[in-house]
Amino acid sequence: MEILNVNNLKKVYSSRFGGNHVLALKNVSFSVEKGEYVAIMGESGSGKTTLLNIIASLDKPTSGEVLLNGKSIVSIKEKEISSFRRNNLGFVFQDFNLLDTFSLQDNIFLPLVLSGKSYNEMSTCLKPIATKLGISNIISKYPYEVSGGEKQRAAVARALITNPKLILADEPTGALDSHSTDGLLRMFNEINNDGQTILMVTHSVQAASRAKRVLFIKDGEVFHQIYRANRSHEEMFAKISDTLTILATKDTRGDGHE
Amino acid sequence: MNNLFFPKLAVNTIKKNGKFYFPYILTCIGTIAMFYIMCFIESNEGINKMPGADSLEQMMELGTIVIAIFAAIFLFYTNSFLIKRRKKELGLYNILGMEKQHIAKILFYETIIVGIFSIITGLLFGILFSKLILLIYTKFLSFKVTFGFSVSVYGIKSSLFLFSAIFLLILLSNLFQIKLAKPIELLKGGSVGEKEPKTKLITAIIGTICLALGYYIAITTESPLSALSLFFVAVILVIIGTYLLFNAGSIALLKSLKKNKNYYYQTKHFTSISGMIYRMKQNATGLANICILSTMVLVMVTGTMSLYIGAEDALKNRYPYDITVRKSFQDKSIDRDKLLQSVLDAISSQGRSIKKINDYKYLSFSVSYDNGQFIANSQNQYGNSEVLTFITADEYTHLTGKTIDITGNEVLACSNKRELDNTFSLFDKTYTVSDKLESFPMTSDFAMFLMNVHFVVLSNDVVLSQILNEQLEAYGDHASWPNYEVSIDIDGTDDEKIACAQAVDNATRDKVKDDNSIGYRYVNYTHSRQMRAKQFYTLYGGFLFLGLFLGTLFMMATALIIYYKQISEGYDDKERFEIMQKVGMSHDEIKATVRSQVLKVFFIPIIAAAIHIAAAFKMITKLLAVMNLTNVPLFFWCTLVTLLVFAAVYGEVYTLTAKIYYKIVG
Repeated sequence: MEILNVNNLKKVYSSRFGGNHVLALKNVSFSVEKGEYVAIMGESGSGKTTLLNIIASLDKPTSGEVLLNGKSIVSIKEKEISSFRRNNLGFVFQDFNLLDTFSLQDNIFLPLVLSGKSYNEMSTCLKPIATKLGISNIISKYPYEVSGGEKQRAAVARALITNPKLILADEPTGALDSHSTDGLLRMFNEINNDGQTILMVTHSVQAASRAKRVLFIKDGEVFHQIYRANRSHEEMFAKISDTLTILATKDTRGDGHE
Repeated sequence: MNNLFFPKLAVNTIKKNGKFYFPYILTCIGTIAMFYIMCFIESNEGINKMPGADSLEQMMELGTIVIAIFAAIFLFYTNSFLIKRRKKELGLYNILGMEKQHIAKILFYETIIVGIFSIITGLLFGILFSKLILLIYTKFLSFKVTFGFSVSVYGIKSSLFLFSAIFLLILLSNLFQIKLAKPIELLKGGSVGEKEPKTKLITAIIGTICLALGYYIAITTESPLSALSLFFVAVILVIIGTYLLFNAGSIALLKSLKKNKNYYYQTKHFTSISGMIYRMKQNATGLANICILSTMVLVMVTGTMSLYIGAEDALKNRYPYDITVRKSFQDKSIDRDKLLQSVLDAISSQGRSIKKINDYKYLSFSVSYDNGQFIANSQNQYGNSEVLTFITADEYTHLTGKTIDITGNEVLACSNKRELDNTFSLFDKTYTVSDKLESFPMTSDFAMFLMNVHFVVLSNDVVLSQILNEQLEAYGDHASWPNYEVSIDIDGTDDEKIACAQAVDNATRDKVKDDNSIGYRYVNYTHSRQMRAKQFYTLYGGFLFLGLFLGTLFMMATALIIYYKQISEGYDDKERFEIMQKVGMSHDEIKATVRSQVLKVFFIPIIAAAIHIAAAFKMITKLLAVMNLTNVPLFFWCTLVTLLVFAAVYGEVYTLTAKIYYKIVG
C-alpha cells in the first residue's frame, strides 16, 4: 500500500517583487510504500530540503501534489495544518531541535501536549518507546546535560510518540560522532522493522546505505534510484558511492534525463 | 580609509538597529526635555518672586536632582540592553578584521550622533513645552501671574552639562566592555545555555514573612502618629519581601505548578510555565524593580492628588473660622475682656463686620489611657495617648447659652473616637460622667484628626485649677497652660479678610509690649484661613506638580524597561518558537502563548503594586490625616483613577510590545 505519493512536484522561488525566479524542484514524482525506509540523496542545492519541507507541509509547491494516505496535504487549510502535521508526521532534525527549557521527557511529550492528551495517556505511550530507545534512565534530564547521541534518541522518541504514519528525518546523523551515528542508524532499522515508514534526507552514504531504497535528486528532479533487494550494507554502500561518482562526473546541466 | 567611513557606519548601525535605538533616543529626548523644563521652572523669576515660593524653589530643586539621578541610572540601564544586543554585530566586525580601536571609533560616533541629536531635539521640545507646563504649574499653585515666552539659559546649560556627562560615561562603559570582551564572546552575545534555577525555599519563606509583617503593620496600625513612625518600617519590609518573593517565591510557585501534572501538561500552561521559570531567573529583580517603582509612582501621584483636591476640606478642618486668636495664660493671669476688645477694635477699624464669634478658655493636654485610668505620659510616646480638653460649666453656658447642672467631680463629656467610661480616674482622682454630649461647640482642635480627644465640661473653676495644678506637677516643664481662644467669621473678600487678620495680629501682638499679662510663645498665634489657603495651595500645588511630573517620568521609564525586556527576550525565544512550530504548534497557538507570556510579565508587577497599595491604603489615609486630609473616599477614588490611568498606559505599551514580539518570533 502506498503511504506517500509525490506527483509532478514543481517549486519556483521568486524574489519579493517577482524579479528572479529560481527553480528548486522541476518535476519530482515518486511514492513510498507503507513500511518502507527511503533515503533521498543529493548535493547541496539539489532541492532535497525543499522537497522535504513540502512533504512536511511547511512549504507549498508551485504545482503538483503530495498525497499522504491518499489525502492531499497541499490543500489542507492553514488552520488544520499544525494538527495534521502533529498527528501524521514525525520529525527528526540534524540539530535535534530540543528545547532547553524542557526536560527530555517534556520535550518528548510536547506534540502530545499540543494535541491535548492527559498526563496518564502520555506516560503510557512513553514507556515502551523510552525503553526501546534506551533513554529511560536519563528521561528527566535536560538537553544540556546529555550527549548528542542521547539528544537525538530523545528527538526520535518525540517523533515516534504520536505514532505517525511517516517519519521525516532531515540529515539526522549530521551532528553526531561515528559511534552515535551507528547507534542511531541501527535504531532506525529497528523501528523500520517494527513497521514504521521512514523518509530520510541525507548527505551521508553510510546513512543512506541502511535504507531499503535510495533516491538521487539532482537539479530538481529524481535522477536515479537504487533498491536494496538483498544487498548487505557494504554492498549498498559501494553501489551508492558508484552512483554518486557517476552523478558528479556526468554533466546533466540543461536536461536531467538519462 | 575615507574620513567619513566611521560616521557613515555609525549612522547605518543606528538605522539598522532602529527597533532598539528608536525607543532609546526617544527616552533620551524625553528625559532631556523634562530635565530642562524642571530647571526652567526652578529658576523662573516670576514664580520665585511670589510669596511662599521659597519652599517651592527648594521642592523643585529637589525634583531637579531626582530627575538628574534618575536620568543617569535610566539611560545607563537602557544602554545596557542596547549593547548586549549589539555584541554579536560588534564581534562580527572584530572577526572580519576590525581592530578594537576601530570598533571604539564606531561606538564613539554612534554616541556623538545619538547624544547631539537627542540633546538638541530634547532641548527644543523642552523649550516648546516649557510654557505649557509652566501654565499648568501656576494653575496648580493658584498663582495669577502672566509670563511671556522665555528660554532659560540656566536650564540649557544644566541640561547640556548633565547629559554630555551621562553620554560620556555611557560611552566609556561601552568601550570598557568591548575592551574586556573576546571576539568569540562578542559573537555569542548573551546566548549562553542556562540551567534550570533551583528552588530557594528559605528565601521564599523569609520573603513571605517580610511581606506579611509589612502588610500586618500597615493594616493594624490605628493611630496616625504611630503610622508616621512605622510607615518606613513597613515600606522597607515590603520592599525586601517583594525582592525576595519575586526572586525565590515566583520560582517556587512555578515549580509547584509544574509538579501538578494535570495542570502542567495542558497546552496553555505547558510552554508558558517552563518558559516563565527561565524568565523569572533572569528577570525577577527587574520585575521587582518595576513593581516597587510602580508602587512609588502610584502612592506619590495619588497622595499628592488627594492632598490637592482635598485642600479645601483640609482647610475647613484645620481652620474652621476665618480668624482664630489664641493666647496662653501660662502662669500669668490675662485679662480676656481686654484682649477680646482689642480684637474687636482691630476688626471694626478695618471696616469688617463679624458674622460669628466664639471665645472661651480651656485646658488641654495629652495623657496615657490605661484600663479606665488616665496617667501622665512620657514624651514622644504616642501609642495609646489621648487628649483631654477641659472647660468649665460657666464657659459652656457662655458658648452655647445652655445651663447645666453638675457639681463636684461630675462631668459632661463628648469624644471624637473612643467614648469615655462612665467613671474614669485622672491623676488618681475619680470623675463621674453624668451625661454624654452629642456635639461640642469648639471642635477646631487639630489633634482631633489624629488622636482620641475627649471634651470634658467641669463643674467649676476650682476643679479646673485643681486639674491644672496636678498636671503642672506631673509634667513639669512640659506641662500645658490654659488657653484663651477667640474664633471669628467675618465678611469681605479674601484679601480684605487677610488684611483684617493682619490687623488683629498686630493689635494682639502690641499688647505684649504694653501689657506683660499676655505672654507670647508658640502657643500664641493669630491664624487667618485665607492666608493659610494660599500657603496650602502653594505647598500642595507644588507637591501635586512634582508628583505628576515625576510620576510621568517614572511611568515612561517602567514601560520602556518592560519594552526592552520583552524585545530582547523575543530574540532569545525566536528559536524556541521555531522548534515548537516544527513540532506542530500552530500560528494561533504561538500567538496565544506569546500573548499570555508577555501579559504575565507585564502585569504581574502592576498587580503586585496594586496589592501593595491596597495593603497600604489604610496606613496612607492615616498619614494623610496628619496632613489634615480626612476624606478617605476622595483618596480611594484618586487611587483608583491613578491605577486605571497607569494600567491603561501600560496596556498600550503592552499591545505594542506584544505586536513587535510576535513579529520577532513569528
